[in-house]
Amino acid sequence: MTRLTRVLGGAFATLVGLFLIAPVAVTVASSLTATPYVTFPPQGITLRWYAEVFAKPEFLSSFALSAGVALAAAAVSAVVGLAGGLAIHRHRFPGRAALEATLSGAFAVPTIVLGIGLLQWFAQMGLASSPVTLLLAHLVLTVPYAVRLVLAGLAGLDRSAEKAAAGLGAPPFLVFWHVTLPAVRGGLVGGAFFAFITSFDDLTVALFVVTTDLQTLPVRIFNYMQYDYDPTVTAIGTLMVLFAVVAVVVIERFVGVARLFGADTEERS
Amino acid sequence: MAAVGRVAGGARVSRPRRRTGLLLALPAILIFVLLFLAPLGTLVANSFRTQTGAFTLGNYARFLGDPFYRDVLWNTLRVAALTTAGCLLIGYPFALYLRGRSARVRNWLALLLLSPLLISMVIRAYGWLVVLGPQGPVAAVIRWFGLTPPQMLYNDTAVLIGMVHVMLAYMVLPLMGSLDRIDPTLVPAAKGLGASGWTCFWRITLPLSAPGMLAGAMIVFSLTASSFVTPAILGGPKVKLMPYFVYTQATATLDWPYAAAIGFVLVVVTTGLLLGYSRLLRRGRGEVVFA
Repeated sequence: MTRLTRVLGGAFATLVGLFLIAPVAVTVASSLTATPYVTFPPQGITLRWYAEVFAKPEFLSSFALSAGVALAAAAVSAVVGLAGGLAIHRHRFPGRAALEATLSGAFAVPTIVLGIGLLQWFAQMGLASSPVTLLLAHLVLTVPYAVRLVLAGLAGLDRSAEKAAAGLGAPPFLVFWHVTLPAVRGGLVGGAFFAFITSFDDLTVALFVVTTDLQTLPVRIFNYMQYDYDPTVTAIGTLMVLFAVVAVVVIERFVGVARLFGADTEERS
Repeated sequence: MAAVGRVAGGARVSRPRRRTGLLLALPAILIFVLLFLAPLGTLVANSFRTQTGAFTLGNYARFLGDPFYRDVLWNTLRVAALTTAGCLLIGYPFALYLRGRSARVRNWLALLLLSPLLISMVIRAYGWLVVLGPQGPVAAVIRWFGLTPPQMLYNDTAVLIGMVHVMLAYMVLPLMGSLDRIDPTLVPAAKGLGASGWTCFWRITLPLSAPGMLAGAMIVFSLTASSFVTPAILGGPKVKLMPYFVYTQATATLDWPYAAAIGFVLVVVTTGLLLGYSRLLRRGRGEVVFA
């Protein structure tokens, strides 16, 4: 019985694995097809669609815009998240409870609702869409993660270590630098990483905030897909997958991917 | 400021500390007030206005009075419920399987599970367009059997497949958490007392993993009901879902007040359902804790 369940379990897990990688594997494979339409299995092999991507300046400028906004979102989220996390964890100030409530409330509001709210609010304020409004819109999505991850790091920090350092004569800045900051480093890197991915990947909010001259990469791909079914999109997709793989390898080195998502996959019990 | 800073000891120490706290929190507070509360407030206010700005309840009356939109709401909840069921059906056995593996296998499978979340949503949905499309592998297999492949895109099933793919991790992670918390001696003890494998599962594993299951179901349901990208690409206008109509009303029809009203109905219905659900759970069993 155990042998049978093992085999069945293995087969089932393999099927789930196939299901999980199917869309990405198929995208990568069909980016090489020589046909002018997307097909799997690919027919013939060519790198023509990659050349096509780099020949389209609008994709490159969209990539630059997306990457720039995402980097800015990561940096601002890390700083705001660190400050906000420290404030909530250590200080009493007016509005603290309200801030905490808003932090968890931000997760519950659908992104599409945020998007249309931002559209109407920016219009009312007379703010024309620009990379800055895009960044502002993304901060609402990314800062709650950053604060939450910093708070998790602070919760694990033994405050007596800080007191000991201070008692031994370390000035506040050195205590912060050598004791507090290392404790929240994982949370900070995770928060920044999350912010980058969220901003870089966001289509829902960006659709409402952008104009035809200012399209992030997901918006550009989304619009392109409506009219063209040639393999250029599969080539872009493959490049983005490679980008994500590099990011995952880097982050796995520093924090561990599963931990970012709140899962304890190993060290339990 | 300097005067306050010089005061040492006693209750007045809290004043500079309060100020530091507020100062540290200020950027976050500004972001939430100006970019979260204000837009949502604008949205709610606009949903009670006509296109010219006069107060009205007409947007809500229109939504509730129109069988088409009632159908959209119903379909949204239906697709969310089906996605939740799908995630549970695939995710539960998968989490059980993961439990028995070595840390290395678990890490790899967890990475695989999380991989859809790390890859651009647009690209992922596009991948499913290819997989399920007329030139894709599924159609090829069907043709190989000598049959004509049916239209597999732009319907509920396509949306369901895409959504289960995205949401599976949100179901499996809390499940793994609560499976791991089960005392590992319980099942061997029950077996020693003569219980069969099935009895152990029904009487021990399943009830004790309920908190993870319920937490996962809650996350999957609410995220699915409000997701836009995957349904828009795989379902298109034919699959009637609330977020899609928020989008078209705002950008194609340019009826902002009506778009605001649809969005607000979506928020109220999903949070209402979730609040009711978690209250029901708390009443049903004293100690359900959400992971």
